[in-house]
Amino acid sequence: MNGVNWETYDEALVKEAAKSVVGHIDPVMMHYIENCVSCAACETACPYYAVGEEYGPVNKAENLRKLVRSEVAILPRIFPWLFHSHVPKDAEELNKWAEMAYRCTNCGLCYVTCPFGIHSGEMIKLVRGFLTKTGRVPTVLKAMIDMEVSGTYSGIKGFMDLWQSVLKEAEKAIGKELPLDKKGAEYVYLPSLAEAMITPEAIVSSIKILDKLGLNWTMPSDPMSIRAPVGALAGDGEAAAAVVKRIYNYLKEIGPRYVVMSDGGYPYTTYRFDLPRIVGEKPPFKVVHFVELILELVEAGKAKIIQGDEEVTWHSPCKMGRFAGLIEEPAKLLSMASKNFRKLESHGLFSRCCGGGNSIACIVLPTMQFLGKLTGTTMQVSDEEMNFLKKLEHDMYIASKGKIDEIRKSKAKIVASACVGCIHTIRLSSRVHGLDVSVVNIVEVLADKIEKA
Amino acid sequence: MDILDFAVYVAPPYVVAAFAFGATYRLLKYIFLWKRGPGPEPRKRGAGSLVKGLIMTFLNPIIESIRRKPHDFITGLVMLHILGVIPLIFLLDQHIAAFAYWFPPYALLAPLAIPLSFTTSALTVAAPFKPVSEMQWGFVNTIWGPLTVFLNGDVLAVLAMLGVAYKIGDKIVRRAHGLTHVRIGDFFDLGLLFTILLFGFMAAHHLPSGDIVTYRTVLGIHIVLAELLVALLPFTKFWHFVFGFWYGKLHEWYDLKYKRGVAE
Ligand code: SF4
Ligand code: SF4
Repeated sequence: MNGVNWETYDEALVKEAAKSVVGHIDPVMMHYIENCVSCAACETACPYYAVGEEYGPVNKAENLRKLVRSEVAILPRIFPWLFHSHVPKDAEELNKWAEMAYRCTNCGLCYVTCPFGIHSGEMIKLVRGFLTKTGRVPTVLKAMIDMEVSGTYSGIKGFMDLWQSVLKEAEKAIGKELPLDKKGAEYVYLPSLAEAMITPEAIVSSIKILDKLGLNWTMPSDPMSIRAPVGALAGDGEAAAAVVKRIYNYLKEIGPRYVVMSDGGYPYTTYRFDLPRIVGEKPPFKVVHFVELILELVEAGKAKIIQGDEEVTWHSPCKMGRFAGLIEEPAKLLSMASKNFRKLESHGLFSRCCGGGNSIACIVLPTMQFLGKLTGTTMQVSDEEMNFLKKLEHDMYIASKGKIDEIRKSKAKIVASACVGCIHTIRLSSRVHGLDVSVVNIVEVLADKIEKA
Repeated sequence: MDILDFAVYVAPPYVVAAFAFGATYRLLKYIFLWKRGPGPEPRKRGAGSLVKGLIMTFLNPIIESIRRKPHDFITGLVMLHILGVIPLIFLLDQHIAAFAYWFPPYALLAPLAIPLSFTTSALTVAAPFKPVSEMQWGFVNTIWGPLTVFLNGDVLAVLAMLGVAYKIGDKIVRRAHGLTHVRIGDFFDLGLLFTILLFGFMAAHHLPSGDIVTYRTVLGIHIVLAELLVALLPFTKFWHFVFGFWYGKLHEWYDLKYKRGVAE
């Protein structure tokens, strides 16, 4: 597969991309852009600040302000040098902007730390969108977006063999055929190809839970996505919307009351909170994570959890915790599941980020090599992009060290989480930082302990 | 007409007009960019959780600042804001008198007035008799009592100037480190604030000399620059105090605590 060209610079494309980004500004984004007082209170909250002070949220987000000033503000357009208002002037600067934009996990720690509620991560997402339009997007990310939008992932043997093997494994686990694409089911389980790749056991465990609870459920026979919507990670709103709409149409055809997810990363927040905006209507179903489903059934006396004694802790994915309010619910379930459950030091609204979200862990070299092996292809990347990827991986391990340290401090042997990106990052980073720990999806901890009451 | 006459009798309506124009412009932008569309079902949380969430939304940045950047907390928040410009602007006795001249109901804040100088404060505590005044209210007879030894224009202005100086120094260091989030407007705004504070302090102490012409000029410059700040307020980062802070925090509360159901 040919890589994206990181060496060229097309002025017309850059200008066009800048215009299109400005067109995406809504009142909330306007607030983020205009009301920053440059106090830098946000910076130490950011996992990438540990890499260098230029990676503080406000400094990274400033690139969006430069771009907007250069398009819409009067004085800054007359005196760009005085007001820092410009788009990148050459390939080198474009690459520098990419380096900064891909040092953000969109974790939202800057958002809750800023005295003015400014979410620099969302601004950086727009910068990524700008960069994508100029052609600066990591090759592997672009490949995933293209495959997801076109549906061509289903033509890749390695992917489909893996998907089928996970489904077979699940069938074996429940001892019966899976009720695939069953119209009129009350629950639709919606896993992704990324889960099959990184956390296949989570899919098997989720299916076990649905079966044990005796629910009327189904799931797609096709993975429907790589990890919808991958486009969002490159700030490509159009690609993201196209995939989400396609999956939404499938769900409407099935007609469930609930869509259940085991991935509590950005796919969950997208379906739970962004779906009405993307599809332009209120969905006729509720979107829940397994944690919500199980807790509701346990609290209603319809299911129970047998307590064990594993030394387990909970890493709260930024999306599921800070951006979906499920902070105490997973901890509650895990404390029912093990008398040796312990919370991490930063548990709560300010839970530390793993450092690899927002595509970072999914585009670094070890992941690229893994994907290459799985699909039997080699991705060619330019020297410039290779440098970018090597440095990104190095920086990711620095950004994730705080998380690894607090896991080490907890002395837990198992880290339960719920986001494919978090699990992948903590696995990669714990190896680098010499921590021997098993990292699993929370459904894997719960599957064997749950029983219908 | 000297600069003081200009500041007190001529400039105010123009300042108000500039402020009103700027504020309207900035608010209208938000309204024009607004797009209606279907939203998600909010996660249901109790009223208690939402109220606690609202309080914590405002408190969290302060707690994080104490935890992560104590030097910024002391200089930026305590010295510059909480002890500096907020009480100075709104409660300094001379300011209450001036604002009440333009807007009479402001005189209601008179019982909270902070005396101008350290000497007056010291006398409040040490003098064996209460000062008598024929003016509308007694200048040092406020609810603050002995606290005025600290709560007075001299001490607070020095704290505020130190806070601003720290901020300017911090921005210079950041610029030197190549950080581009430090903007030209930051230097202009902080410079303007520092100059206003300095001229106010000088006027209060009849500096650089006690003659009436110098005094009126120094006080006039203090007021004109303060008026400039108000006129430019919607176009500068001082807007945070009128709008950005409140909108930002209320939006964050709505987004995270109300819509997404983050309970603290
Ligand atoms: S904390 Fe908020 S206002 Fe301060 S620099 Fe960061 S984004 Fe800007
Ligand atoms: S969203 Fe997270 S990673 Fe991105 S700038 Fe903010 S704190 Fe840093």
